[in-house]
Amino acid sequence: MNEEQGLSDQYGRASPWPLFVALGLVVSEVGVFLGLFTVAVFGLVLFGGSIAGILTESGYASRPWPTLLGFGGLLAVVGLGLVVWQVPLSAVTLEGFGQNGLLSRSVAIVAAGVILAAAGSVASVAEQTTV
Amino acid sequence: MAGEQLVLTGLMAVLLVVIVGALARAEDWRSYTPLAGGGGYGEATGHGHAEKPGGLVRWLTTVDHKDIGILYGVYAVVAFAVGGIMAMLIRVQLTLPGGVIVGNSYYNSLLTSHGITMLFLFGTPILAAFANYFVPLLIGADDMAFPRINAIAFWLLPPAALLIWAGFFTAPLTGNEIEPAQTAWTMYTPLSAEQANPGVDLMLLGLHLSGVAATMGAINFIATIFTERGDGVNWANLDIFSWTVLTQSGLILFAFPLLGSAMIMLLLDRNLATTFFATGNGGTMLWQHLFWFFGHPEVYILVLPPMGLVSYILPKFSGRKLFGFKFVVYSTLAIGVLSFGVWAHHMFSTGMDPRLRASFMAVSLAIAIPSAVKTFNWITTMWNGQLRLTTPMLFCIGFVSNFIIGGVTGVFLASIPVDLVLHDTYYVVGHFHYIVMGAIGFAVFAGIYYWFPIVSGRMYQKTLGKAHFWLSMIGTNVTFFAMLALGYLGMPRRYATYNFDGAIAPLAQVTTFHQLATVGAFILLVGQLIFVWNVVTSWLEGRRVESHDPWNLEENDMLGNEFSWFKEQRATALADGGEEDESVMADGGQPGQQSDER
Repeated sequence: MNEEQGLSDQYGRASPWPLFVALGLVVSEVGVFLGLFTVAVFGLVLFGGSIAGILTESGYASRPWPTLLGFGGLLAVVGLGLVVWQVPLSAVTLEGFGQNGLLSRSVAIVAAGVILAAAGSVASVAEQTTV
Repeated sequence: MAGEQLVLTGLMAVLLVVIVGALARAEDWRSYTPLAGGGGYGEATGHGHAEKPGGLVRWLTTVDHKDIGILYGVYAVVAFAVGGIMAMLIRVQLTLPGGVIVGNSYYNSLLTSHGITMLFLFGTPILAAFANYFVPLLIGADDMAFPRINAIAFWLLPPAALLIWAGFFTAPLTGNEIEPAQTAWTMYTPLSAEQANPGVDLMLLGLHLSGVAATMGAINFIATIFTERGDGVNWANLDIFSWTVLTQSGLILFAFPLLGSAMIMLLLDRNLATTFFATGNGGTMLWQHLFWFFGHPEVYILVLPPMGLVSYILPKFSGRKLFGFKFVVYSTLAIGVLSFGVWAHHMFSTGMDPRLRASFMAVSLAIAIPSAVKTFNWITTMWNGQLRLTTPMLFCIGFVSNFIIGGVTGVFLASIPVDLVLHDTYYVVGHFHYIVMGAIGFAVFAGIYYWFPIVSGRMYQKTLGKAHFWLSMIGTNVTFFAMLALGYLGMPRRYATYNFDGAIAPLAQVTTFHQLATVGAFILLVGQLIFVWNVVTSWLEGRRVESHDPWNLEENDMLGNEFSWFKEQRATALADGGEEDESVMADGGQPGQQSDER
């Protein structure tokens, strides 16, 4: 066996991604619903990253970066939408962040979205400039 | 608070680094090449290589339906053990009217977790185990339609179980601040909405994830059975087990997303001050309607594949084909449709509109017809057949027997006047345990014994198998028949103690029947210990099967597709000169002795 080959190239019926997609979804749900900011951000980043990975590995996408950008953008829009729709403008302050449950949850979703989208864009640009 | 946040942030950062590191080690991302057809198999890169890595990595990364089936099976048996221990604690507690071992709150937690564990962490996954391993083999498919989604669906379950059981671990650590949920498995509002305990949120999240897993699995089974059938397998000759899995998957597709949505609404009520289930606006009834619109189909989600297992296995040991195959399929479909029209029979005593109530009674009684069609077809299949009382066959017959008792008691409960008397008594508990343990559990055991040779390549120990059956049969009937009697005596369900006034119920008789039920539960426990011992030791060092037809089905021309696949597997392994199979060859030539029990 070629040692440099990845797991899913080497073995026809193995993929490392499903475990992390599942873990990402679990951690996201726990983080968002229980209002644990860092857990929510980590979970959503893991979930989005794993989706980009599994789609690329299985051949549904040719590169992972557009998925990262798309998923991140979607999360950011959903998070911002929640704030605009449900949180009164006066509550959107640094102090309000700790007080208003919906605000901190939405900010976590937006943060994860921004991280994913930024990672997707940077990687995409870096790839195009190096090749 | 800030310290906790910092620790959590650090932990998350470390986890992220570890995961990215592990993935970077395992995978060469630059090697990913898009497949021409966009298919989800990875054949383009996998062809010509070994199928799976070794050791633990194999089990963590597998997308092979057989491996995932085994994972589901192991997971479900562990959950069965946990749920079983909870049941034993409940039974010990109720040996005396004042309770024996636990306090009222802990009893409520045990009761809630026992129900949820058995239904969602044992029942649904063990059926997915059979379906994953055998549906592709039975329909001649290479794998499931979406192997990766299959793996994702499984990997959602272990965290779901941890979340559901989390309260038992966090309660001693947090000084009972985060306790296990005490909502009963039905999670009725306003109780579930108003219990401040965060353990309820954890349980709801776990349950929600298990629902997501079940839905992903169901979509996969539907796609697989519709699109992946091999040459020669069509709708006319599709086996009965696959038919029931297809119907079950349809039910899951309509029922589980609804449960998921209702649970999200409940979580929002609990955490973000929404008022979906506020008591003033009929929210209590809204929860009951939503829950039972899922909850009653769930009963058929759990019972249809076991019915398929019995319909599949029972004819093999009766020496003849399933009597009235078409009608068994039609009755499966009829049950699938009718199951969505009976939910309010769980709510007869809530004070709902009597005209609605009557219509739900009619449909509930009507669902007895397709169930009876199946029962009579099983009996007729055995009638004058050449019965071979092997362990799987004994469990099939036990299924039919227990299903009749569980079913007939259900017909009585479907009748409004009877239900108003027996509602919320042990009669209901006895009735549904006859179905979930006496029928579903028995069919699961039949399936495990019947296919044990294919999965493990070995035969289980026959005497232990029979002991398991008889202890289970006696234990089930002692325990749950006693519960039916308790119900007639007026013993309410869900009580941690029953020191009540003699005017309410005859206490001496109630105590006796509770003690009988506990004795039965211990008989059941011994039987299940034997089962686990038998499976584990036989898997590790049981006698290897020496032919592809351990049940001698070929002589009646009843070898199923899965055993034909087993034959090919063995032939391929022989041609490859695999070490294991050389001994098979050396021991060969005595097919008569291979049969476990004839």
